Amino acid sequence: MRTIAEINEKIQRQQAIVWTAEELKARVGEMGIDRAAATVDVVTTGTFEPMESSGAILNLGQTDPPIKIRQCWIDGVPAYAGFGAVDLYLGATQVAEYANDAPELEDRENVSRSIVRGGGHVISDLIGGKSVQLRALGQPTDCYPRTSFETTITRETINQFYLFNPRNLYQNFVVGVNGGDRPLFTYLGPLQPRLGNAVYSNPGAISPLWNDPDLQTIGIGTRIFLGGGVGYIAWEGTQHFPLQKRLPNRTPIGPAATVALIGDAKQMDSQWVRGCYFKSYGPSLMLGVGVPLPILNAEAIAHCAVQDSDLVAPVVDFSIPRRVRPTFGLVSYAQLKSGRISIEGKPVRVAPLASIARSRQVAIELKQWIEAGEFLLTEPVAPLPIDRQFLAQDRWGAQISLEYDE
Amino acid sequence: MKKRVTLIFPKRSVHMPITYRLAKDFNVAANIIRAQVAPNQIGTLVVELSGDIDQLDAALEWMQSQNIGVSLASREIVIDEEICVDCGLCTGVCPTEALTLHPQTFQLTFTRSRCVVCEQCIPTCPVQAISTNL
Repeated sequence: MRTIAEINEKIQRQQAIVWTAEELKARVGEMGIDRAAATVDVVTTGTFEPMESSGAILNLGQTDPPIKIRQCWIDGVPAYAGFGAVDLYLGATQVAEYANDAPELEDRENVSRSIVRGGGHVISDLIGGKSVQLRALGQPTDCYPRTSFETTITRETINQFYLFNPRNLYQNFVVGVNGGDRPLFTYLGPLQPRLGNAVYSNPGAISPLWNDPDLQTIGIGTRIFLGGGVGYIAWEGTQHFPLQKRLPNRTPIGPAATVALIGDAKQMDSQWVRGCYFKSYGPSLMLGVGVPLPILNAEAIAHCAVQDSDLVAPVVDFSIPRRVRPTFGLVSYAQLKSGRISIEGKPVRVAPLASIARSRQVAIELKQWIEAGEFLLTEPVAPLPIDRQFLAQDRWGAQISLEYDE
Repeated sequence: MKKRVTLIFPKRSVHMPITYRLAKDFNVAANIIRAQVAPNQIGTLVVELSGDIDQLDAALEWMQSQNIGVSLASREIVIDEEICVDCGLCTGVCPTEALTLHPQTFQLTFTRSRCVVCEQCIPTCPVQAISTNL
């Protein structure tokens, strides 16, 4: 029908027809798949949700005399230093060990502030242009004699600063509930006892990987919207599990494909990269990611046409601290978005963890970039694997049953 | 009319059957929003009083004469819209559905009149956008 090269020519002429996934889903019913496929060049998807397997690579530039950093704290948060001399990796969930001792913060409760902060907040601060304190300890060697170093850094004063996220964009996830009798504090937020509430973490049909369930149009090298800047799919994500059980529409019934993402943090916007903290669980990072899907054939439109009512997630009881937790069956994202689901006949309030409003904004922003001719699509340089087996350390397992009652 | 007030009871007034007196002497209905009462301790009661405006004022005056602290500025939930990302996590723990997501825009909506200031939303918010004003 059309190639990526042809789409890019249209983008450069600012004549590409770009719809957000929601626009497509709303219009495809009346115009039909074939006409939609003939009309649309690109469909943009988006999500804004906590993605804790994220982190930033930083290179400081050497000091004089030079240092081989072995331990490092950025704004009180330990950064991994086991690379070359001044290369650092700051993980989103790393907890602050002390609060920044900048003078204006002296009057604050140092400890309570540090507990709720982590790598995600520091990454967000750096992207926002703030200066942060850095403390490093070195191993003295003939090459690198220096033993310690303190400075403040901003994104302008370091060489490289890019996100390299080992696991983002979960294709589906779970709905968390608590069937026990004490409150639980989880990465899905507080779960109240006796099925007091439920939380789902994926924004539903607008989220990227629902719209290309078998990863046919995206792959390694796909250019994306990452944190308000430009990023790329670098690799399959950790825990990538494309063999998860799937519905006839090819969407998975539980956690499935994931991708590793990379992108220049110096070009990002802290609006789309936000530190966050889950009470009694820890810090994390909320991230906006948008993926453009080229419409190369009618099949691509058929995949993008899935609605919230066509997608399901398993309701998982977090009160059982096991790798494979018992489930209360599957619910559709249409049910989840209504704010109430029924579990064993009992109505339970359900809240999202992804920002659906911001997920939409990501898709709209990416659409605007493409329409303005500022963002070209890329051919994947290699496909993402679609046959990864699931090894025993998995959290949710393939054991989620396919039973699903409308 | 309705008035939401915070009442502070000194230790010696905790035994007073306050809602009974309000109803019987002033024809004022007291809807208890929050209460923290224990023997021999200072008690706190957040109530929504409804009744005739003159009788409401008389009731407040009478309570003050009984050494009950009356504060019209009750604690309220404040949401910083600059910080909030509209994730909606707070809506699941809000017992009165004062916090909801708009069914179309999925932006956070706060209906202050439904809020009982239970404060469960405060630690739930992952970006610390919710606080109280007192």
